[in-house]
Amino acid sequence: MSALTFAGVRKTFGSNVALEGFDLDLHHGELVTLLGPSGCGKTTALRIAAGFERADSGSILVEGADIGKMPPHRRNMGMVFQSYSLFPNLTVADNVEYGLRTRRIAKPQRTARVLEILELVQLGALGDRYAHQLSGGQQQRVALARALAVQPQVLLLDEPLSALDAKVRTTLRDEIRRIQTEVGITTLFVTHDQEEALAISDRICVMSNGCIEQLGTPTDVYRAPATAFVARFVGTMNELPGEVGAGGEVDVLGVRTSVPNAAHLEVGSALNLLVRPEDLTLAEGGLVGTVASITFQGASTLVGVRLVIIDRLVSVDVGQGAADRLVIGDRVGVGVNGSNAVCEAVA
Amino acid sequence: MSARLRAWLGRVGPSLVLLASAVFFIAPLLSTARAAFHKVPTILLNRKTWFQKWSLEGLRRAFDEPNFWPTLSLSLKLAFATVMITMLLLVPTALFVHLRLPRARALVEFLTVLPYVVPPIALVAGVAAFFRPNARWFLNSDYALAPFYVVMAMPFTYRAIDAGIKAIDVRTLVDASRSLGGTWATTVRRALLPNLVASLLSSAFLTATVVLGEFTIASTLAKNTFATFSFEYFGRDAQGGVGLALLTLVAITALLGVLTLLTRTKSRKAMAASRY
Repeated sequence: MSALTFAGVRKTFGSNVALEGFDLDLHHGELVTLLGPSGCGKTTALRIAAGFERADSGSILVEGADIGKMPPHRRNMGMVFQSYSLFPNLTVADNVEYGLRTRRIAKPQRTARVLEILELVQLGALGDRYAHQLSGGQQQRVALARALAVQPQVLLLDEPLSALDAKVRTTLRDEIRRIQTEVGITTLFVTHDQEEALAISDRICVMSNGCIEQLGTPTDVYRAPATAFVARFVGTMNELPGEVGAGGEVDVLGVRTSVPNAAHLEVGSALNLLVRPEDLTLAEGGLVGTVASITFQGASTLVGVRLVIIDRLVSVDVGQGAADRLVIGDRVGVGVNGSNAVCEAVA
Repeated sequence: MSARLRAWLGRVGPSLVLLASAVFFIAPLLSTARAAFHKVPTILLNRKTWFQKWSLEGLRRAFDEPNFWPTLSLSLKLAFATVMITMLLLVPTALFVHLRLPRARALVEFLTVLPYVVPPIALVAGVAAFFRPNARWFLNSDYALAPFYVVMAMPFTYRAIDAGIKAIDVRTLVDASRSLGGTWATTVRRALLPNLVASLLSSAFLTATVVLGEFTIASTLAKNTFATFSFEYFGRDAQGGVGLALLTLVAITALLGVLTLLTRTKSRKAMAASRY
């Protein structure tokens, strides 16, 4: 039985369809990320799970029990919000204790639980402070502790890192993952940041216009995107025009490459081939272009090459040291590896 | 204008404006104080007489008036009733508008300003015309003034409450409390009201100020409030009346000071907690 299930959920706001036929199962202890652009319905799905919005149709099940008509305070869910949501009038310890008090837990147990959970988020020494005396990262840790203190069945995280600066975001992201794994709590995480989703998730649910485009592991979503939307939204993608040839090959501007995804397409039809930078190589005999930019990225280097034949810039990911001798303006060849490429038919 | 003069004005200008404002507000108060407590005519004022014949006699006479304490008591009771009604009506309304009808905020703000543009005499005449034949008992009660005062104070009180709600992320606080198992009652009591204390106190203070100073409606409905007493007493004893007006002003200012101190206590405690 799944920990949390969305079954055929539909939600509209006036004439806008926020969710359409939304089906998703969260297994026990896994972290699933809803990833998509603004307005794709990911936060709506989370708010429906929390009980802040009512679905027009469909069901929300926790451990198989329909909670669709249950008010938020009766659902046993913990939630962390995008904006800092600590109660300004309460200390850190009182904030964490809030949910335990509403559940009428006895004082000694409450105190013990608060200490335990503050230690878990490494804020044991800050129990007497108020929200305004904490940094953004600390506030979100307290919010996480507060949500976990009540031992919820499901943890809902609504873009909890988006208000933080880059370094804190990365640290807290790893911290959330550590705590989630340690506690073993089923978690639904909402973000529009693909890097965050790839780093933290067991599975990623990529959404667009209220529908699921792809549900899979981070590797699946990145290496084998199910649709052109997923391919473009997750990671960097190069677009090259091509024509389907015989035997699953595609002719890309005169260079032939094997593309398994093109096998079902009609021979001779035009397509857009979506290729990751790491599936392009700098090679003799490839597409001719000139080096337009060289961006050092630590472990690898991203080389921008302007293709001569179509005057389009493509990004080529080359290994450490491979770009050392390149200078802007050099004439290079670009090889295409189509084994993971996504084909988008052109009308 | 030369650059030097501009620089000098830039340095001294704000202080001059502040000084002029202070004189504008403080000079009339000092004049009122002299009129209330100094028994030397202006024409006889000199270095010698300036320090002579200061007295609280006028104020003492006002305190000894048989109607002083009953009218003050009634006005304070009316202020309390008006504050209670205002809170019960406007706090839920403002919260509801923010949480459920954010698009109606402009309309509600407009409606709350209407009492400001309707003259009190028109308001009381219209309401009295309706209630006199239908519910005379209502108009006969001294507390009939409270609903009028709620309406009259609304342009100020709603704004104070609204500003307080805008200052906190009310939707997130409500959602956080609800997700932690808080009912609506718990959420309002533990998560919202403590964070709205400053604005609620401001709202209460403004309401009390309106009630203590309102004359037109009380006079039209023939009620003996502190404002009608002060007006009537001023006609009989000008010096005592001026003293009374000054005392009222000082009392209200003191009330504001106390409220300000009260609302600051929380943040001071928080600051103290940070000094580990």
